[in-house]
Amino acid sequence: MEENNNKQSKSKIQDYEPIVGRSYIEELRMLGDNLNNKVIQNINSTYVGGGVAEILDHLVPLVNQLGVDMRWDVIHGNNEFFTITKKIHNAIHGVQENITSDDFDLFMETTRQNARNLKLYGDIIFVHDPQPIALVDQKERIGRKWAWRCHIDASSPDETVWNFLHRFIIHYDAAVFSAPNFARQLTIPQFLISPSIDPLSDKNKELSAEIIHSVLSRYKLNQDKPMILQVSRFDRLKDPVGVIAAFEMVRKNIDCQLVLAGGTATDDPESEEVLKEAQDRASGNSDIHVLLIPPGSDIEINALQRAATVILQKSIKEGFGLTVSEALWKKKPVVATGVGGITLQVKHKFTGLLCHSIEGAAYSLRQLLTNKEYANWLGQNGHQHVKQNFLITRHVKDYLLLFLSLYYPDDVIYL
Amino acid sequence: MTELIQWLFNNWLLIVIPVLTFLTAYIVGIWLRRKSFDAFNRWSLKSKWFGTQLVIETFRNPFLHWFILLGLYLAVYVSVLDPEYKLIAGRIVSTLFLISIMLAIITLCEKLIKFYLTKRELFRAQIPLMVNIVRVTVIIVGLLIILDIWGMPTTPLILLLAAALLVAVFALRDTLPNLFYGANIAWSEQIKKGDFIETETGESGYITALNWRNTEIKTLEGSLTIIPNTVLARTRVINYGHPLKKASSPFHFYTRLTSKQLTGLKANNLQELAELLKGASESIIYYHTHNFLEEHNYLTPEPANDFALWVSDSLGHEILGERLASIDAFDYPSLDALKMRLIGVITDYMAHNPDDRRAPSGEAFHFIRSKIVILPTSYIAHDLREFIEVMKKITIDSIFYHIFEARLRLKKGSNDFSAWIEDCLGDKDLANKIAHLDPYTYTLEGLRSNIIEIVEKHTL
Repeated sequence: MEENNNKQSKSKIQDYEPIVGRSYIEELRMLGDNLNNKVIQNINSTYVGGGVAEILDHLVPLVNQLGVDMRWDVIHGNNEFFTITKKIHNAIHGVQENITSDDFDLFMETTRQNARNLKLYGDIIFVHDPQPIALVDQKERIGRKWAWRCHIDASSPDETVWNFLHRFIIHYDAAVFSAPNFARQLTIPQFLISPSIDPLSDKNKELSAEIIHSVLSRYKLNQDKPMILQVSRFDRLKDPVGVIAAFEMVRKNIDCQLVLAGGTATDDPESEEVLKEAQDRASGNSDIHVLLIPPGSDIEINALQRAATVILQKSIKEGFGLTVSEALWKKKPVVATGVGGITLQVKHKFTGLLCHSIEGAAYSLRQLLTNKEYANWLGQNGHQHVKQNFLITRHVKDYLLLFLSLYYPDDVIYL
Repeated sequence: MTELIQWLFNNWLLIVIPVLTFLTAYIVGIWLRRKSFDAFNRWSLKSKWFGTQLVIETFRNPFLHWFILLGLYLAVYVSVLDPEYKLIAGRIVSTLFLISIMLAIITLCEKLIKFYLTKRELFRAQIPLMVNIVRVTVIIVGLLIILDIWGMPTTPLILLLAAALLVAVFALRDTLPNLFYGANIAWSEQIKKGDFIETETGESGYITALNWRNTEIKTLEGSLTIIPNTVLARTRVINYGHPLKKASSPFHFYTRLTSKQLTGLKANNLQELAELLKGASESIIYYHTHNFLEEHNYLTPEPANDFALWVSDSLGHEILGERLASIDAFDYPSLDALKMRLIGVITDYMAHNPDDRRAPSGEAFHFIRSKIVILPTSYIAHDLREFIEVMKKITIDSIFYHIFEARLRLKKGSNDFSAWIEDCLGDKDLANKIAHLDPYTYTLEGLRSNIIEIVEKHTL
């Protein structure tokens, strides 16, 4: 079982000082000093692809720079195993899946194989998502501190699957969820740790006007017309057709354009269909641009977000919705539906506007397009809100606090 | 013998003229010294420059020597000696004259250096070095002139000296500007050892040492920062002067970091909210009455608490929302009292408004409690100036800890700053001013600025 200890983040922890302040980084170092005799072992199912790998890829090197020995291992499984874990993933989201007892048996057998092959060396074993969850069976044998990080919206899971997972979760010393409504009533401590964005990554760093201009030119967008933008993969849960409907209501009175930018997912056969639906609905309207953005086009997404007048996230269901934080970081006024983790990011009328319908979205868009000062005020507040709560440095801090909490059960800890 | 007497008899005039010339010069010298030094003394009395006394003391004796040497030179000049001997005698007299002048200059420079540089700390340790530099310089210049008097070539020596000077300048090219600016800083006396300074590049602390190359400051974190004199001379420096009254014990700044712990408890209507509030721990009450303040610290005025926001936005009970928002945590001595007030307002409202509508799907109120980790920072304040400087640097978490956590959660009754100012500095007036500041009506940055302003006004 290989270990991914050689990953190097481009950014150094001190690079964040101009953004969050020197004292903030000093506090992170102090926290790190209190964990410098512990080894933290992350375990998930892949080094590449997916949000968890992306987070760990950025986060592990930063934590290491604080003097904490954090490492990262993955479990292995065959295609059948990962098909089952995909079903489990969907079932946690509340999707009805047919998972048989044979599937559960195979899940357990793969876990046992991984338990034999994977060296569990960490003082703290930090398990991500359901795939490696059953490794906690080893706790009885080896002890240590165990924490389970659930990156999935578990607010309304399939009960059979949840009950299956529950018998493992209760053996952990702590569980971590991304939003309050993702949590369940458990006998173990549950922590709220939101995901984060990296302000120094290609997707969020400052861009020159020339780069933004060249991206807009490449996609043949009108640079003089106000732009409403939604960035999301083509998925019914992101409601691209609803976005077009809201735009059409706005366009009756305000001269503006809509950009729907996103990609399709190879593991989601519906996405091509949704893209086609959006293209069909947009056809004949020169103010609607449906852009299929290839994976890895972070600079392009960044440029579109920075060029936008208002950014929309009209999801029907959402995990955390970090595209909202990305928009807020760029000081853009945001209209979003109050689902999933979006409510943590958009405080209605303070850091953006929440809506619950197509009409509500259209109303809010009109408000922001015609009231620039109000839109700017929301954008400024949104930027401060993300700076305070959704940057990777806060994520690092929360993880370090979680690890410390495993050794100190009291509500007030003096170090 | 008789030949000599005979010769003197025949040539007495040849002897007498030089002797008379010498004696005349000597007498003129004595007379001139008296007159000129009387004039110098009168000038010295009028002059405020202390150096006049040094000049008079230094030149009183050599002045007479110079007239003796002048007399000798003139005597030789008027004598009937062979021109070759006259030349040698003249060179000897000139050399002695020059040596006397060199000694006088060296003596005067030594006295002036000691007089002026003893007062300046930066130079005090360097006095022997400076004296030696002056001695060597005067001797070299004098030597070159003497060589010239004796007709010896000086050009090679001058070239050699110039080359050595160039090599020295090249070797010290990085050090020389520091030396220059160091001298400038010390001479201007704008900053001194013990002063508290702050540079525009962000360094601040007490000056612990000023030397030729750099200036050492001890920062509030206790570390030693060395600033090259060139940097210090070119940057904007605020000098706050000497330390203020020292506290009987210093203020150690702490910070607290919060992790949010989910309880799994949630309310969908007012009834459930009130019931869950009754059983809620202090850390839950604390979290929901302070979370918005911390998470949205950029907003003024902040919505008071999560309960007020939820009943307004999710349940549509706007009147109750206003009533809950108007509860000022500052008015309550404990979290328990605050909790009872929240429950009282909700139950009172429910008694008059039986419509207990449910929150829309996905908008339940989730009870969260905060778990705090308290850490000592490296910042310590021994007086109010240090306190102000640290206040400018610490995180809002640290301010939050000393103002909010200390009073309500750690049950200290007051904020930590007021307690320290009263107990350790004995300044009850200032302590009260800070204690009476309602922290819930400011953003955290606004609170920081207000405290700094209050202390600055009080200190100045």
